[in-house]
Amino acid sequence: MNKTLLQINVNGQQHQIEIEPDMTLVDVLREKLGLTGTKKGCNSGECGACTVLLDGQPVASCVLPALKAQGKQIITVEGLGTAKELHPLQKAFLVHGAVQCGFCTPGMLMSAKALLDKNPSPTPEEIKMAISGNLCRCTGYKKIIDAVMAAAAELRGEKTITMPTVGEQVVGSSVPRVDGIPKVTGQAKFADDLSFPNMLYAKVLRSAHAHALIKNINTKRAKALPGVIAVLTADDVPGRNGYGIHIKDQPVLAKDKVRHYGDAVAVVAAETLKIAEQALELIEVDYEPLPGVFTVEDALKPGAPKIHPNGNLVLHRKVYKGDIEKGFQEADVIIEDTFKTPMVEHAYIEPEAGIGVYDGGKIIVYAVSQGVHYHRSEIAANLNYPVSKIRVVQTTTGGGFGGKIDNSVHILVALLALKTGRPVKLTYTRAESIIASTKRHPFTMRYKLGARKDGKLVAAEVEIYGDTGAYNSYGTAVLTRVATCALGPYEVPNVKIDTYTVYTNNPVSGAMRAFGAPQAAIAHEAIMDELAKKIGISPVEIRRINAFRKGSATPTGQILNDGVGILETIERAVEKSGMH
Amino acid sequence: MNCEKYYLPATVEEAINILRENQGNARLIAGGTDLVLQLRERKINTKALVDLSALKELNGITENNGWITIGSMTTHQQIAASGIIREKARVLAEAAQSIGSPQIRNVGTIGGNVVNAQPAADTTIALMALDARARILTNQGEITKPVGELFLGAGQSAIDPTSEILLAFDIKTPGAREATAFMRLAKRKALALPIVNVGVWLKLDQTLSKFEDIRIALGPMAPVPVRATNTEAVLKGAPLQQTVLLQAMAVLEKEISPRDSLRGSAFYKKEMAKVLLKRAILVAVKDLGGELGE
Repeated sequence: MNKTLLQINVNGQQHQIEIEPDMTLVDVLREKLGLTGTKKGCNSGECGACTVLLDGQPVASCVLPALKAQGKQIITVEGLGTAKELHPLQKAFLVHGAVQCGFCTPGMLMSAKALLDKNPSPTPEEIKMAISGNLCRCTGYKKIIDAVMAAAAELRGEKTITMPTVGEQVVGSSVPRVDGIPKVTGQAKFADDLSFPNMLYAKVLRSAHAHALIKNINTKRAKALPGVIAVLTADDVPGRNGYGIHIKDQPVLAKDKVRHYGDAVAVVAAETLKIAEQALELIEVDYEPLPGVFTVEDALKPGAPKIHPNGNLVLHRKVYKGDIEKGFQEADVIIEDTFKTPMVEHAYIEPEAGIGVYDGGKIIVYAVSQGVHYHRSEIAANLNYPVSKIRVVQTTTGGGFGGKIDNSVHILVALLALKTGRPVKLTYTRAESIIASTKRHPFTMRYKLGARKDGKLVAAEVEIYGDTGAYNSYGTAVLTRVATCALGPYEVPNVKIDTYTVYTNNPVSGAMRAFGAPQAAIAHEAIMDELAKKIGISPVEIRRINAFRKGSATPTGQILNDGVGILETIERAVEKSGMH
Repeated sequence: MNCEKYYLPATVEEAINILRENQGNARLIAGGTDLVLQLRERKINTKALVDLSALKELNGITENNGWITIGSMTTHQQIAASGIIREKARVLAEAAQSIGSPQIRNVGTIGGNVVNAQPAADTTIALMALDARARILTNQGEITKPVGELFLGAGQSAIDPTSEILLAFDIKTPGAREATAFMRLAKRKALALPIVNVGVWLKLDQTLSKFEDIRIALGPMAPVPVRATNTEAVLKGAPLQQTVLLQAMAVLEKEISPRDSLRGSAFYKKEMAKVLLKRAILVAVKDLGGELGE
């Protein structure tokens, strides 16, 4: 490829760099100048994590051809302030708790700087507009807006931001977060920010079908491409070709069958990312498409296509208490309804990324994670390698919400490091992250409640079907958890709860914030309102009557003796809302 | 981005010569906020890119002899912030302001927005309401075309980016009894494509009691941006009355054919197009001090 000379001024320093003409500015900053404070979240101009100032204006550097910056001035987060001399914005972000995972922070800071450079006294509305191109998944934006207001005040010379210091008394006092300063200065190293000498780049070939048999995989042409170091398929997995926290049903690389659009079929390691991408196009896979099932109803029909050999029902969990028939006989009012909640993507701003390093017999994986010990044990089993020789290092992780507790890049980079003996980096694209990562389980929930005329619940019959997608992941745990909390904070003497974990050919559902409880809350709160209406009492009253209190028994028979705060919470909410 | 060469010509002449020399293997890039993605996903392939951003002559907004001229490389941000546009062609200022995010508006251009040829491109809808003329440099020399004639299909522009250069848009400066308005429905206020967008230009009669003339542009109602000419016909010459507006909404429903998409059902888009049309007309009429009677 032709090289072109790019002359730019970055953070006050003049650079002359030889680049490929089709590089984007973010890649020049990160790869050529090592300025990894500028992040790549979506690589499509949507998330704002790559925001830098180009001649003072915020731009999305991931969709900006680097040559558009020819002869121009660029400021990145590294040019904003240093650990020793923080910019007021950096201080304010720390003090106001506007930094959590830290991945959106550099872009957010740059948009805020562009605003304050032009407008020293912005209103909250103007701040919202200025950061409208920067997505954050952790903070909820309010703290960010507060921080920008505070920084503006300091810049106007009105009010200095005081950084908390760690004194003798730590408990009960504000202390700076340990990873705060690296996150506001762009120094925190997320997985994709790391690189090693002699490093290779990996890409995954993903299934083109939701359900199909693999008849043949031909990697010959891909292997012959200059710069390709390894092309691996299921036969190259030395140990158990299956992983999963509870059931080892998900293949590292699919062997005879793919079960969802996104299953990993082959993985390539090459000298450059571009070569790895080209190699994927040269891998030939012969599929024999199979009929797929995409709803729990279809998956449980007699004669439905079997996604796994044992059928599509993974687990039926029962929580029964009292006498359900007697309970409904005692009821003056019976109410029934069905609720459905959709699949939800975690959409952390940092896509999955990791690097496998082979170091004299040891395999070290640096990667995003919410559970390094789990990754370590899976890698050992999949690679048939002693667990004592595997180390998993969690890099600064740009949002997880449960989605980074599962394996993503981990086993593949370990496998590639072992096979090639070289460091191998794998970073998902945004599309790949959405296709291949786990989701919140979609639920279908059938509720039947029985209550006396006075509003007291006497019976509850609940059926919950959770779509765990092609593999179980945390499915059985999520559906077990919801079996225990399907009735929310309400005491019912006679209970019959059945939950079903079901395979479909949808994306895999796994762990996500609160593990099934939020889906059930949609159902139990909606039906409680309906029940109140039917009986003719207020939504508050029906909750007061039925809420857990000291000594209440949950559906599993657990007696609640301490810390039962729901009644108090209801009263406080009533007080604050003015509702009675 | 997948290209082998990247040119940054200093003049329009140099740019057109590079295109000619490359005989179809080079294509123009404006802001690139859409094109870079299309190249990365290989939806568009080219050997070379010819970047027009160094061409000062294609950038800027001027007003001369009753015409407003907007260079094709003028960014959405420049348009949204322009005093001339805000004051005289509000529909365009608001359309430009609604695109993407600050990061995108600082780079994306009006020319790129039009040549990308999406059926609901915000600035296109505004330009069609303003009856803008596009000046294009072709192999036959400079030609002028109404913006409405620049679309062949979804994503298909009548301007060939491997041989032709969109230079500028000319808009007749609106006169005393003329006003414009832009309405847009999207899931969020930023980084969201429109579910429906409507641009209106209208002229009232001397007594401010009748629609003397009107132009209505909408997206995404068909594979290309559309003018609602039947609806315009109902309103032209009609009195400023609620009943007339209701009649126009009924005609609009018949003349648009949106499709079901992730952004909304066809039914919803039709209903909202009617609502947005009504709101746009009310805003423009109010701007002129007019009022709708019963």
